[in-house]
Amino acid sequence: MSEDQILLKVEFGGGLELLFSNEKKHALTLPARVPADNSTSPAPSEKETKPLDIAYLIHWLRDHRLKERAELFMENDTVRPGILVLINDTDWELEGEGGYEIKDRDEIVFISTLHGG
Amino acid sequence: MSTSCGNPTVEKDALMPRRRKFDRTKTCIKCKDNQGNVTIRHAVYCKECFFPMLNQKFKRSLEPTINPIPDGPRKKNLYPPGNLLIAFSGGLGSTVLLDLVHKGYVASRKPREDADAAVRKKDPKNEMVWKEVHVCYVEVCGAFPAMRDRTEDVRRVVESYDGFKFVPLRVEDSFDTKWWESVGGKPDKGELRVDITNEDLILLPSSNATSPLSALHTYLSSLPAPTAIPTTLQTLTRLLLLHTARATSSSHFLFGTCLTSLSVSLVSLVAQGGGFNIKEEVQEDWGGEGGRQAVRIVRPLKDIVMKECAMYAWWRGLEVVGQEVWPDARQGIGGITKDFIVGLEKDYPSTVSTITRTCAKLAPKETPAGICTLCNRPAQGHVQDWKTRISIRSLSPSLASPQQPSLAPYLCYMCHTTLTSKSSKKPSSGSSSAGGEEGNEVPLPLWVGARVRRMEREEMRDKVKEFLLDKEEEEEGYAEPI
Ligand SMILES: [Zn+2]
Ligand SMILES: [Zn+2]
Repeated sequence: MSEDQILLKVEFGGGLELLFSNEKKHALTLPARVPADNSTSPAPSEKETKPLDIAYLIHWLRDHRLKERAELFMENDTVRPGILVLINDTDWELEGEGGYEIKDRDEIVFISTLHGG
Repeated sequence: MSTSCGNPTVEKDALMPRRRKFDRTKTCIKCKDNQGNVTIRHAVYCKECFFPMLNQKFKRSLEPTINPIPDGPRKKNLYPPGNLLIAFSGGLGSTVLLDLVHKGYVASRKPREDADAAVRKKDPKNEMVWKEVHVCYVEVCGAFPAMRDRTEDVRRVVESYDGFKFVPLRVEDSFDTKWWESVGGKPDKGELRVDITNEDLILLPSSNATSPLSALHTYLSSLPAPTAIPTTLQTLTRLLLLHTARATSSSHFLFGTCLTSLSVSLVSLVAQGGGFNIKEEVQEDWGGEGGRQAVRIVRPLKDIVMKECAMYAWWRGLEVVGQEVWPDARQGIGGITKDFIVGLEKDYPSTVSTITRTCAKLAPKETPAGICTLCNRPAQGHVQDWKTRISIRSLSPSLASPQQPSLAPYLCYMCHTTLTSKSSKKPSSGSSSAGGEEGNEVPLPLWVGARVRRMEREEMRDKVKEFLLDKEEEEEGYAEPI
């Protein structure tokens, strides 16, 4: 694995996959350093950068994998309330939420709870 | 390793300033050993301790409701007087409920034997708690064009467990005499229709039979506002399920309503003027009149938040086939409330339980006057007023509608509102025509007619009794009902 790329797995559950072409599992390779403002279009090199984190991943998924209805996935720069995030099987609330720095071969799961009773 | 369950410090948090999502350490508060995997209302659990914790909350809600008379402090054997019915929607909560019931009360247990209580005491743990467990699903796709029928997805999930009997229904069965007969109803007198142009909801005998599906469509399209549709479908679904519970000799009937969705329904109930039934939204006994076995409706996930359900389903690898989001539902009161509660739960995880506890305290002190014929929940008012209303409106001639019985007095406030307000759709035609043209006649769910007729008969009996007892008063041409 080259040092400036990070390999990660993303999985969607609870019906969230329906927004992502009904694909539950996605294997991604993302740069280890990313624009600090979470912009995911090819960036001019002088932009301020940060290590790849969950906040960036959320924006990247919205811009490059989401097929429909972004408002069902994101709200106010993060995932919509009712979507849980697991980082290597652990609640992201224990891992620093959006600020968690993604390591090589991490597994990130997004689960929707909005399917009711 | 400590086994003390220790009430996690979730209850007395200061509310508004956002707290960290967990207190102090990331170590599991149960085993105090493993790194935590999930935070539930500020308490940290590891994956191993999460399952027993959830199961304990589930059993603590359910088991005290199983025996007809609640146990004292000493735990007795579980001995329900009938079978079990589970309402299954395919959604997250009922998916988790199905799994918890199966693991806790069905899997690896022997069929329940009809031994007497003395024998049963020996080893009840090995026997099923309920003799039979039915799982009922009500498909609502008939109400909406182009909605997918999920019955087969649901069947696959239910039948993946052994020991469950699947009962698939459709929401239009509410208007189907075949269904009504199958649950023990008598459609002999024919169905009733109602004229919805008039606030009194004049009752008319049914003329020509239509298919259940077109009856449903007529009924839904007569509703004054699209926001009334979700409420109406919920009521129809609930009553279909309740009659199924009775027909399957079930003494207990479980819903997979978790704390989060319970808060949503309580708040939207109050917003729609249903505050009188707030207690019933949590737990109720239905249909015990006339010496019949009442059906107890229990929501054993009521102390479990949506996040716990989602984690349980994910870690257990359960298939959540999902529940269609009804058109108009997101714009309706329910949808708006849901967005609000889910947002609140994310930022202030312990606030949501406060809502249900506060609502529980709002339960009315008034004794209900009667049972609403449509939703079958207690109707508000004084018994006297209720009876007066019924006898005046339905039997006495009145100027506006000579000899025409009306449905309005047999409805609770919320059902009446759902059917009538705001009739801006048909502004002029309403007040003048008492009769009701063909197009304004709306078929009623079959249980409504059955109840109206029974109440009319009872009212008639009372009248006759009065007549025999109070001849003088009757001769003056005015009879005070009871
Ligand atoms: Zn633990
Ligand atoms: Zn009602």
